[in-house]
Amino acid sequence: MSAGVTTQLELRGVTKRFGGVAAVDGVTFEVGKGEIVGIIGPNGAGKTTLLNCISGLHRLDGGDIRWQGASIAGMAPHRIAKLGIGRTFQIVRPFGSMTVRENAAVGALFGSAAGRRGPKEAFEMADQVLDLVGLKAKAGHPVSALTIPDRKRLEVARAVATRPHLLLLDEVMAGLNNVEIDEALEMVRAVHATGVTVLLIEHVMRVIIGVCRRAVVLDFGQVLAQGEPEVVLRDERVIQAYLGERYAKRLKS
Amino acid sequence: MFLILGAILAAYALLAPLTSLDAAQSANVPLLADRLWFRIATIIAMFIVMATAWNIIGGITGYAAFGNVAFFGIGAYTTGMLIAKAKWPFLVALPFAPLVSAGFAALVGLPLLRLRGHYFAVASLGVGVAVGELVQNIDYGGQPLFGGASGLFLPIYAIDNRGLFFFYLMVAAATIAIAVTWWVLRSRFGYGLIAIRENEEAAAVLGVNTTVYKVAAFALSAALTGLAGGIFSQWNVFINQDNTFPIDYNVQMILMALLGGTGTVFGPAVGAVLLQLLIQFLGGSLPISFDIPFVSADARPILAQVILGVLLVGVVIFVPRGVIDFFGGRSRLSLSYLRRSLRETSL
Ligand SMILES: Nc1ncnc2c1ncn2[C@@H]1O[C@H](COP(=O)(O)OP(=O)(O)OP(=O)(O)O)[C@@H](O)[C@H]1O
Ligand SMILES: [Mg+2]
Repeated sequence: MSAGVTTQLELRGVTKRFGGVAAVDGVTFEVGKGEIVGIIGPNGAGKTTLLNCISGLHRLDGGDIRWQGASIAGMAPHRIAKLGIGRTFQIVRPFGSMTVRENAAVGALFGSAAGRRGPKEAFEMADQVLDLVGLKAKAGHPVSALTIPDRKRLEVARAVATRPHLLLLDEVMAGLNNVEIDEALEMVRAVHATGVTVLLIEHVMRVIIGVCRRAVVLDFGQVLAQGEPEVVLRDERVIQAYLGERYAKRLKS
Repeated sequence: MFLILGAILAAYALLAPLTSLDAAQSANVPLLADRLWFRIATIIAMFIVMATAWNIIGGITGYAAFGNVAFFGIGAYTTGMLIAKAKWPFLVALPFAPLVSAGFAALVGLPLLRLRGHYFAVASLGVGVAVGELVQNIDYGGQPLFGGASGLFLPIYAIDNRGLFFFYLMVAAATIAIAVTWWVLRSRFGYGLIAIRENEEAAAVLGVNTTVYKVAAFALSAALTGLAGGIFSQWNVFINQDNTFPIDYNVQMILMALLGGTGTVFGPAVGAVLLQLLIQFLGGSLPISFDIPFVSADARPILAQVILGVLLVGVVIFVPRGVIDFFGGRSRLSLSYLRRSLRETSL
């Protein structure tokens, strides 16, 4: 992290085990205010588990997570949300019986402590956020009528509606085609432009290189490398563990 | 607001013919039949309260509570004890029924609502059974504290036209239950509960305090159920384990909510009216004489159980959103509707 940037999120030796196997194993890194940081790594590297630790869905087996200087380890998920940490789920979890607009409104009704909203203001907020992610035209639709890319957008909309300081995105671009990825990139940039720090998990290298100032590579639950995406992606160990030779050649050429 | 007004108007519309029926009493309408209709109407209102209250935890929040009858019994015994032992006037004792029921629900809800799905259903059923047994068997100073196996007798509430009074009271409770549901579904609280039902972890990371919300929903459900129990105790004058903790009420209130439509404002009430009429009819309690071919009078309660069972299965499979779905032009009952439902509810 460059000097002059205030640290917002600080992971120190974060560890999470499932039945003796460490899915996240002593992960240490920081995220500064206003950054966009990428997390990459092979399947099963522990990326989602790490996000679950940050958002309070998993109890830590070791280490500490600090938010704006104070520990949030062991805190309930709703309290972490109130502090201003929002997230999406890799496997989308919409509220199926609600409309698109109502889904987003739940984020605005609860969400971070930036002022409790009554239903009326929450729905206005929901409309703004749906506009931002490009779901405005489908506000009244039931979730079941949404395509997969739209469901991913809804995940983002709901999290953004909580007015987070930090947004955790778990593979919101997986399964999208090139045009849709470009749209999603625009969406992330638009959210970032409103002053939100972003920590995103992505398999699509174009995304990491396109928006991230820094990338953290996870492998077997440990940090394999971190730094500027262009540098990290040329790292021999990263290529071995994750990218494969073919990609490395393409990157060099 | 309009809906509350509508509910009150509907209650009046319901009451008007009944009060005229009451007036007709002097005009030689058979007294017995008249009283019976009042009794049935009061019981229906009582089940509207219970089904509507169950809907708050079971339908809106999605936690299938199988032991809500415990709150009916606790409400009945709270009011009953205050009247019979402490000699309190009925209307002073009544507010304590919902309070004590809600307090108890909050207490058991805290550990119980950590359980998911069928674990919660089974555990809540256990609580429902256990409370009934406790109430009957707790002794204090060598005497049964709550009247024991012989039950509790209350002094008769001295008021003209008691039947009508308790009918009004139960209808008022039903109106409160429906109005509360109407408010819940439009509030922040209600959106939180529905979010919990649809995906609890997603609700939590959006900032819903799931523990507090679930316990509050359970306590609210218990308060309304307890209110019905409190009214019942003074209305019935005699309470015991059998009439205040009947296990089949658990199934009935759930079936009513399912039949009418869970998660809706009026669905459980519609289900309560339909199902209670059917139960009374099959049980032979309605002052309508009829014979069911091949079924002796003794076997009728059994037949009623069988029909209820078949109905439960049929509703769950074919009308998953309840009969309220056919009101207001939302859907029409047709073969294609049933086929679509079957597709939705099967793997
Ligand atoms: N709740 C759980 N219980 C047991 N094991 C788990 C649980 N969640 C994750 N794991 C295991 O932890 C490891 C890390 O999983 P995780 O989902 O964090 O990987 P990931 O990096 O997000 O992978 P992907 O790229 O496929 O999403 C895997 O081996 C997984 O099987
Ligand atoms: Mg993952």
